[in-house]
Amino acid sequence: MPDFTDTLRPAGPGGPAILAKERDSSDVPVEQLAQHLFPSNDFLGRQERIVPILENNKLFDKSKQQNLSRPERYRLGLARAKQLRRYADQYNWEDEDLNVAQYLCDDVSPYMVHYSMFITTVREQGNEEQRSYWLPKIEAMEAIGCYAQTELGHGSNVRGIECQARWDPAKGEFELHSPTLTASKWWNGTMGRTANHAIVVAQLLVPKSAESKDYVNHGPHPFIVQIRDTQTHKPLPRIAVGDIGPKYGYAPMDNGYMLFDHFRIPHSAMLSRYSWVDPNTCTYSKPANPAVVYGSLTAVRASIIMHARLIMARAVTVAVRYTCVRRQFQDRDSNDKRAPEMSVLDYPTVQIRILPLLATMFALHYTGAAMQSLYENTRAQIDQGDFSKLAVLHAQSSGLKSLCTELAANSVETCRRALGGHGFGGGSGLIQLNNDYLSKPTVEGDNWMITQQTASYLIKRMSAAVAAKTEPQDEVEAACKEWLHQGHDKRSSPLQIFDSDEQLVEAFHRRSRYLTYQAYIEREVKNRSWNSLLIQLRKVSHAESQSILVTNFHKALQNPSSNLPPPLKAHLRKLFQLFTLYTLDSEARDFLKASAVSDEDLDRLPDRIQQLMAEIRPHAVNIVDAWKIPDFLLDSALGRYDGRVYEDLFNRAHRLNPLNKVTFNPYYTSDEIEMGGGDGELRRIVAKL
Amino acid sequence: MSTIPQWVKNLKPAGPQGTELLQQERNKSSVDVEQLSNFLFTKDGLARKQRVLEILQNDKVFDKSQNYFAGRVDRFETALARAKKLRQLHIKHNFSQDDKMVANELISEPGPYGLHESMFLITLRDQGTPEQHEVFLRKAEQYKFIGCYAQTELGHGSNVRGLETTATWNSDDKTFTIHSPTLTSSKWWIGSLGRTANHAVVMAQLIVDGKPMGPHPFVVQIRDMESHQPLENIHVGDIGPKFGYNTMDNGYLLFNKVKVPHISMLARFSSVDPKTGKYARPASPSLVYGTLTWVRSTIVMQAGGVLARGVTIATRYCAVRRQFQDRDAPEWQKGENQVMNYTTVQVRLLPLLATTFALHFTGKAMMALYAASQSKMSQDAGKAGGPQRGAGPEETNAGSDLLADLHATSCGLKSLASYTAVEGLEICRRACGGHGYSSFSGIGPWYADYLPTATWEGDNYMLTQQVARYLLKTARSVLKGVDPNTNDTTLILSTFLARQDTGAAFDVLGNDSDIVAAFAWRASFLTFEALKHRDEQKKPWNSLLVDFYRLSRAHSQYMIVKNFYETLQSSSPAQEGMGTETLDIMHKLFRLYALHTLEQEASEFYTSSAVTVRQIQLARANAVMKLLEEIRPHAVRLADAWAFPDWQLDSSLGRYDGKVYEDMFYRASEQNPLNRVTIDPYPDSPTLFKANEAAALKSRL
Ligand SMILES: Cc1cc2nc3c(=O)[nH]c(=O)nc-3n(C[C@H](O)[C@H](O)[C@H](O)COP(=O)(O)OP(=O)(O)OC[C@H]3O[C@@H](n4cnc5c(N)ncnc54)[C@H](O)[C@@H]3O)c2cc1C
Ligand SMILES: Cc1cc2nc3c(=O)[nH]c(=O)nc-3n(C[C@H](O)[C@H](O)[C@H](O)COP(=O)(O)OP(=O)(O)OC[C@H]3O[C@@H](n4cnc5c(N)ncnc54)[C@H](O)[C@@H]3O)c2cc1C
Repeated sequence: MPDFTDTLRPAGPGGPAILAKERDSSDVPVEQLAQHLFPSNDFLGRQERIVPILENNKLFDKSKQQNLSRPERYRLGLARAKQLRRYADQYNWEDEDLNVAQYLCDDVSPYMVHYSMFITTVREQGNEEQRSYWLPKIEAMEAIGCYAQTELGHGSNVRGIECQARWDPAKGEFELHSPTLTASKWWNGTMGRTANHAIVVAQLLVPKSAESKDYVNHGPHPFIVQIRDTQTHKPLPRIAVGDIGPKYGYAPMDNGYMLFDHFRIPHSAMLSRYSWVDPNTCTYSKPANPAVVYGSLTAVRASIIMHARLIMARAVTVAVRYTCVRRQFQDRDSNDKRAPEMSVLDYPTVQIRILPLLATMFALHYTGAAMQSLYENTRAQIDQGDFSKLAVLHAQSSGLKSLCTELAANSVETCRRALGGHGFGGGSGLIQLNNDYLSKPTVEGDNWMITQQTASYLIKRMSAAVAAKTEPQDEVEAACKEWLHQGHDKRSSPLQIFDSDEQLVEAFHRRSRYLTYQAYIEREVKNRSWNSLLIQLRKVSHAESQSILVTNFHKALQNPSSNLPPPLKAHLRKLFQLFTLYTLDSEARDFLKASAVSDEDLDRLPDRIQQLMAEIRPHAVNIVDAWKIPDFLLDSALGRYDGRVYEDLFNRAHRLNPLNKVTFNPYYTSDEIEMGGGDGELRRIVAKL
Repeated sequence: MSTIPQWVKNLKPAGPQGTELLQQERNKSSVDVEQLSNFLFTKDGLARKQRVLEILQNDKVFDKSQNYFAGRVDRFETALARAKKLRQLHIKHNFSQDDKMVANELISEPGPYGLHESMFLITLRDQGTPEQHEVFLRKAEQYKFIGCYAQTELGHGSNVRGLETTATWNSDDKTFTIHSPTLTSSKWWIGSLGRTANHAVVMAQLIVDGKPMGPHPFVVQIRDMESHQPLENIHVGDIGPKFGYNTMDNGYLLFNKVKVPHISMLARFSSVDPKTGKYARPASPSLVYGTLTWVRSTIVMQAGGVLARGVTIATRYCAVRRQFQDRDAPEWQKGENQVMNYTTVQVRLLPLLATTFALHFTGKAMMALYAASQSKMSQDAGKAGGPQRGAGPEETNAGSDLLADLHATSCGLKSLASYTAVEGLEICRRACGGHGYSSFSGIGPWYADYLPTATWEGDNYMLTQQVARYLLKTARSVLKGVDPNTNDTTLILSTFLARQDTGAAFDVLGNDSDIVAAFAWRASFLTFEALKHRDEQKKPWNSLLVDFYRLSRAHSQYMIVKNFYETLQSSSPAQEGMGTETLDIMHKLFRLYALHTLEQEASEFYTSSAVTVRQIQLARANAVMKLLEEIRPHAVRLADAWAFPDWQLDSSLGRYDGKVYEDMFYRASEQNPLNRVTIDPYPDSPTLFKANEAAALKSRL
């Protein structure tokens, strides 16, 4: 409906003009930087191809989804998931195309676990026969599956799960059973409404011998189980399965619960590539090396880091563009009463929240890439059964998962809060991002827990280095040895962090070794209890992870094969310094104690950081542009490429908002709620509760 | 009509049961919950809460069980039904103001009458003349006029002087023309405006004879009293879904040259003479000062309770949740560890538990000081030439100086307290692991509704500039030799100056009052550092914003530590019947809050020489760890003392009886409308929902 608001324009200077000026006054080469960031796998090409396909289908229009109830969000999610899969057939998409399409659609798809954990588990844990039986069905989506490990009572402690798979030699079947309420499967994605199959992880109970009544528990094992009828899609008898209800985010995903009442499954249900129960003798054979699963976990974690950087990039893109367009107050120290208001990004208290994050996303990028190539390089060894390199990679990846997902999750909120009132609005584009991403600090290993794995590994290597009996087993142990050798107990002189990037990196190494050594002393020499050391161990892990981030960032800039043109390299170097010094500043005391930096240098840090921010500020828009996050994905009035912030906010409120289609009766003396609805309305509302 | 099979209904959680675990926790501790609750809320307050709770629980419209499932329009509709019902109950039961506040706390969702009941009525009352009270306020009090407070615009929020909406005086017909010249001048974010209000207080730039006079409030009718449709040339609506606050219709509003009569301009403090067209200047702004100070002090006090909700939920859940056996436990020791026993869980939750009390006491102390300053002011007013005077530290008028000090400190505390509550709630949520991510944790939705507190009533970062400005001003006056006893700020700054050269040797690990002194020292040190930057080195204001932020934070932390300490030190705990054992635990919470903060902000304490590096090391390695261990057994009871009814928490994880798993399962399987839907999962089939019993269920009722 046309009305007088159609002709209104925002007060000047307008967003487009502001952003154009920002873009013109920076010499950061956007295209070159984009190529540098996404060199492989044609990510940008795929994105360019797929965005128009989704934009042209109304089903993927995001403008009203925030208004929907939970069941409606799921319904929409299912419709989109189906459509994407049909596109994949129609356009002959590669897996990577479907991934990019899902990334752009930005729903946590109800098919997600089918495509990821379900198929991967069958591939990796199924024997040949199982794979050739299941994989075609899975790929054709006749079998739609989920991964049911976590239970109501146990998530982190997988060994503590209660669901049982009891081998019955007489009938030649397993019996799946949930003995308690806490044994209910819980949180398992795709299971609540969508899946007709599940990988069920259960305690494997096998009689001591074919005749024995005594059962031995061999621990959690995976079984592939049909859970719903393929025609009616109703749960099979003796299975109770459903959706667990609304969550902080993940609205389109049907995380589920599931219970078994003495449910029978065949011998072939147990995925048996590595472990196996002989149906006749009841003999159980174990996996050769438990490290087999490490491999894929490490790959998963490298991709978590690569994903985390894109999350940050999205949040920072919105924040940088909006805080340039948003103007508030004139400069206090200026006498020019006519001067336009300041872009809020020019306030250091805004910069200090956003610009270090701009630098951090590059840090994650280089480390994610390094982990991926490290993993690929060691793959050959893994396939030959040599896991020696994997142990360290795995330990490092645990700590990095914890630190990087924490940084990314917090960055979304930090950016959002830097946007004032409009950050809280649906047009910020950061709400669903926050809601969905905040699962990451918990899933794939709770962030406060898995740092213990990293610390435990580091302490072991430090112990070995102190004992010095054998040649170092890996680079970490070698570094510990080196550090011990340098005479850590005599006060080594602090490093010159402002003079040389190498020394700056070295400062991070020194502090990490120092903290590892302290933890080693506490645990191995003083025999302190593990539990009393948890907080310290987390620090050890974070220090090591930060040291890895800094090292990889530095290496990437030194790498001659990246062919960075010198002006771009100079910009990246500033980002490197900002990330590094900012991190150092927030952990200053550890660096001091490790005699990695001097007291005087620490005092100089805040000024240096503020100066770096001032230098980076004029290039912020171009730098985020280079991350090439399409408007379709941002779905943000504040972060639009063209800067038409206010027009978009108004359009969303005025034209796209279903609440405005209803006229309410606001007077308390009447029980009518909607104008013309009559007094019976209150009863209707109450009936729904 | 439930579809849950009997064998499922028969299942129990694996033992030990949540109820037993919480009982054990409660048995282990000697904290007297009742004493502590009384101390926090008074007996009357607790009884009031109980009484109102019963009234609400008896009315089906307040049933919360579908809140987490519904879409935006439904949620708003239900919220409106609740708002009406609450108003009806208010009249029926003759609610007092306190009763109503308690009812809102218990319902725990922003309602469509929210801004009518707060800012609209207050503004009419405070800024209207007696004649305007007659015309507007009376009808507003009867809810015939339903209003809102429309200040913020699409383009301007923090910078109120930058507002673009105009109100131009027409001397010929004695009217004002209200107009929105640009899109950015659209009112925005205005609570209760989107769908509910028929009137608005509109802040607009007053223009008289072509001269801008700055923003002024106008009462404008915006919707028809019968049809509730917008009036001609007024464009109004809801701004759409938000991070939280979705039960509130925050709105936008545009005017196309709308004429309003002379009486529309609220004229208690400034007015346009209808005959001469002359503009009369506003009297002292200090009255507004007062309201703002009061509002911010309320935010400080509420922040304690807001955070306590998250802490209560997380504390109870982490006592029920067990995961892994202790790594160092002997073989024979069976059973998993309550996750509350892990120090990485303790270090997240217990300092927050201490913080809840710290904020509560600080808020309370601020409110008391505010009341004292008000009565002092009226005394002063009797003596001197009336209340019409500015409030600056250079002037010596006890009441208003106190108020100026209070005003500045309340800015900093509002910023720190709401920041702390926001951050703390998210920490609590994450500490609950996977189940924290469920809406049934009750933390996520609560967090989302609380978030805007960090932005409104002064953006948390912006406010710190006002604190810094005040501290710098006070430091200058102290250097000029103002009486140290003018107020607390002059006192700590003078003390610092006097001892600066001899240095400080605070025994923060041994002596509680030294802790307070160390916090004062650090805040004073940072004040004089900032003063050096600004006055001696002449640095631009904007280059110092980060320093100002830190300064404000340091000062507010000092205030919190001081108020916590003084509350425990005063006679009131004993007077109100708190036993020594409970008081002893409270002292430990004080130390935990203070030393944990000190450790977090170590470098400032160290740089200012308030403490030595060695002391900081000891604070962390020994003192804090030991306090965690000592407080751990009392955690559940300390949370209990916050006295949240389950109905208010609306959380499976935070239930008083510990039936966490039963409740999670019940809500998921029986209250969840998605489970009434059978779907078609196959990509090739266009069918999505095959059968939807939920819809069938709805229409039958
Ligand atoms: C959105 C979402 C999707 C999911 N999808 C799936 C899925 O598809 N399939 C599936 O099987 N599971 C899934 N999960 C479950 C997920 O893997 C678990 O929630 C996760 O592993 C965390 O475990 P928990 O919930 O048991 O946390 P808990 O272990 O209960 O954590 C509670 C607290 O205790 C602490 N803690 C626990 N143990 C220790 C220790 N030893 N030392 C110190 N602190 C400790 C933690 O740090 C945390 O603060 C999903 C979860 C979510 C939120
Ligand atoms: C849920 C909700 C309800 C609301 N209800 C109402 C209502 O009923 N009536 C009403 O009138 N308003 C209402 N508001 C508006 C609210 O008061 C404003 O959003 C708030 O004042 C912040 O202003 P802003 O949005 O312009 O932030 P901005 O000023 O745009 O802030 C953006 C960023 O810039 C920074 N910044 C801005 N200026 C400076 C500076 N000088 N120095 C340093 N940094 C700076 C801020 O710190 C922030 O990071 C509501 C807002 C919300 C979210």
